[in-house]
Amino acid sequence: MEGQLISSALHHAPWGFPIATYFWLVGASAGSFVISSLGWVFGVKKYKPTALFASNMAIVLLMIVPLILITDLGKPFRFFHLLLLPSFSHWSAPMIWGSCFILTYPISMMIYSYFVWKKNQKWARILGILAVVLALCTHWYTGVVMQLNPSRIPNHTSVAPILFLTGAYVSGIGILNLMLWIRNRYVKADYQVSTELLADMSRLMLYGIVFDLFLLWNEFLQLTYGMGDEYTMLYDVLLGVFIWPYFYLEIIWGLVLPLIILMIPKINRQLFWVLLASFMCATGVYGMRIWWVMGNFYYQGHY
Amino acid sequence: MAERVYGYNGVSPSAGKAGRKRYAMVIDLRRCTGCNACTATCKSAYDVPLGEWRISVMEAELGEFPNTRRYSLPKLCNQCDQPSCIRNCPTKATYKHPDGPILQRYNRCIGCRTCVVGCPYNARHFLPDNRRDKRNPRNVVDKCDFCIVRVTRGLAPLCVASCTGGAMVFGDLNDPDSEVARVYRDNKTFTLRPEMGNEPQIYYIGLNEHIADPEFAFHHRSEQLHERYNTFKLNSEVGGEMAGNIVDTDTGPAGWVRHMVRNWASFLKDAPHKFFRGLF
Repeated sequence: MEGQLISSALHHAPWGFPIATYFWLVGASAGSFVISSLGWVFGVKKYKPTALFASNMAIVLLMIVPLILITDLGKPFRFFHLLLLPSFSHWSAPMIWGSCFILTYPISMMIYSYFVWKKNQKWARILGILAVVLALCTHWYTGVVMQLNPSRIPNHTSVAPILFLTGAYVSGIGILNLMLWIRNRYVKADYQVSTELLADMSRLMLYGIVFDLFLLWNEFLQLTYGMGDEYTMLYDVLLGVFIWPYFYLEIIWGLVLPLIILMIPKINRQLFWVLLASFMCATGVYGMRIWWVMGNFYYQGHY
Repeated sequence: MAERVYGYNGVSPSAGKAGRKRYAMVIDLRRCTGCNACTATCKSAYDVPLGEWRISVMEAELGEFPNTRRYSLPKLCNQCDQPSCIRNCPTKATYKHPDGPILQRYNRCIGCRTCVVGCPYNARHFLPDNRRDKRNPRNVVDKCDFCIVRVTRGLAPLCVASCTGGAMVFGDLNDPDSEVARVYRDNKTFTLRPEMGNEPQIYYIGLNEHIADPEFAFHHRSEQLHERYNTFKLNSEVGGEMAGNIVDTDTGPAGWVRHMVRNWASFLKDAPHKFFRGLF
C-alpha cells in the first residue's frame, strides 16, 4: 500500500543505557559466580584458587546494581515499595521476582564467601548450591522482564533467558580473567593464578561463545521467517540503526573474533591472546544489552 | 477457568458482568476530521507536559494519486480488559476500576516505567520533574483515565465532549439502551493490535488496517516526521529516565559513543534532582 504517515505522537524510550548496564553487570556477576562455584560446589579442584576472588567480585558487581536501578527510578526513595511484602507487591510482575532475587542473591554469596574463606567444604557447598541457583534466577529474571511483553518484538522470545544466561556466562568469565590478571600484579607469588588456569577458563568461555552464536543464529532465523514486525525489526533496526551494537560489537567483536582467537592452537594458551579474547567477550556482550533494551523502543517510537 | 487477579484488591474487570458498568468508547473514524480538538482539550485540562500525550491523533495519507485519502486515528489508552501494564506493575500502582477504566495511583508509583514497556499502544507516559505547576505529580507514570472524575459526575470525557465531528461515543456497554451500545451493536468495529490479547475497550469503526499497524508507522513515516522525531529526541528535556533516546541519523560507531555519553550525562545530571527534590 502506498502512503505515508504524516503526524503521530513521538514516544520516548522509557529504558536506556542505565538499564542496559544493569543487565550487563548482573550478567557479569552471575557468570563470575558460576566459575567461583566450580571448585567448591561441582568439585573441579583446579578452579578452587579463583573461588574467593570470583565470588567477591560478583558481590562487588552486584553492589553497583542497586545504585543504578534505584537512581533510574522516577522516585528513588520509593524503592522500598518493592520490599513491602506482601501488601504492595504484585506477584504477577517480573520486577517483584527480581527484587526478591536481588535481595537474597548477594546475601547468600556473602555467606558462601565466608565459608570459602574459612575453607569449610560442607557449608561452602550447601551455600554455593543455593547461591548458584539464585545467580541463575537473578539473571533469568532480567531476561524475562522484557520477554513477557508480547508487543516488544525481538524480546518476546522464549530464547531470551537462555540468551541472557549464555551472555552472562561469557562476559562473566571475560571480566574475571581480566580481573585475575590485574590481581596477579598486586599479590604475592603464592596467591597468583597461573596462566594455564586463565587459559582453561578461556576454554570454558569458548563453549559459551559457540552456544551463544548458535542461539543468535536461531534468533536470526526466527526473525527472518517471522511476521512483518519481526522481519522489519531484523533488517531495519538490528541490521540498520542498531548494526553497530548488534552486528559489529556483539557478533563480530564479542563472539566471532574471540572464537577465532581461541580456536587457533598456537596462540589460544598465550596470556596476551587469552586476555584479548576475554576483553572482547566482556565488552561485546554490552552490545547485546544495548540492542536488547533499546531496539524495540526505537522501532515503536512513532506508533 | 480461574479468574485473573487485577492488581488493586484483585478487582476483576467489568466485561459482561450484570450490575456493573462497562465503560467503553466507540470512535467512528468516518466522522473524525483530524482536528485535534481532543488532544488540545486533554492537554490543557490535565497539564500534560510538552512531548507527552494522553490522547493523540495519528494521520496518514494512503493510496496513489489521484486515488488518495487522508486517514486520522485518535489514539488513547485502550482501557484493556487484560491489561499488560497492570500485570507488569510491581507495586500495584495501577489498577483496573470495577467499571472499566485503568487508573494510576501516583503516591504508590515508583517510576520504574515497566508499565510503559508493557503497553502495546504506547499509551503511557512519564511525567517529568519540570512540571509547570509543581503541585502536580512528578517523576511518576501517567495515563488517560477516561476522565474518571467527570464520568463519575455524569459528564462525558473531555475528548468526547470536545469532538467536533461527533466521532467519539462514550458510555456503558452493559446498558443496552445506551448510545455506545447501540453504535457498537449496529456497526462492525475493530480494535488496535488485537493479536496482543489485551482486549482493548476502544472500538473503532472504519479502521484502516495500514494505519493501525506499527510496521506501517515505522516504514512509511514521512521525511518531515522523521526529522521531527530526531529533533524531538535531541531537544527533549525529560531528563535522565529517558536515557534510551537515540537519534537515528547518527548511528555510526562515533554516534553510538555520543549517544552513550549524552544519555549517561543526562541520567547523572538528573539524579541529584530526584534524590534531593520532591522526596517520596
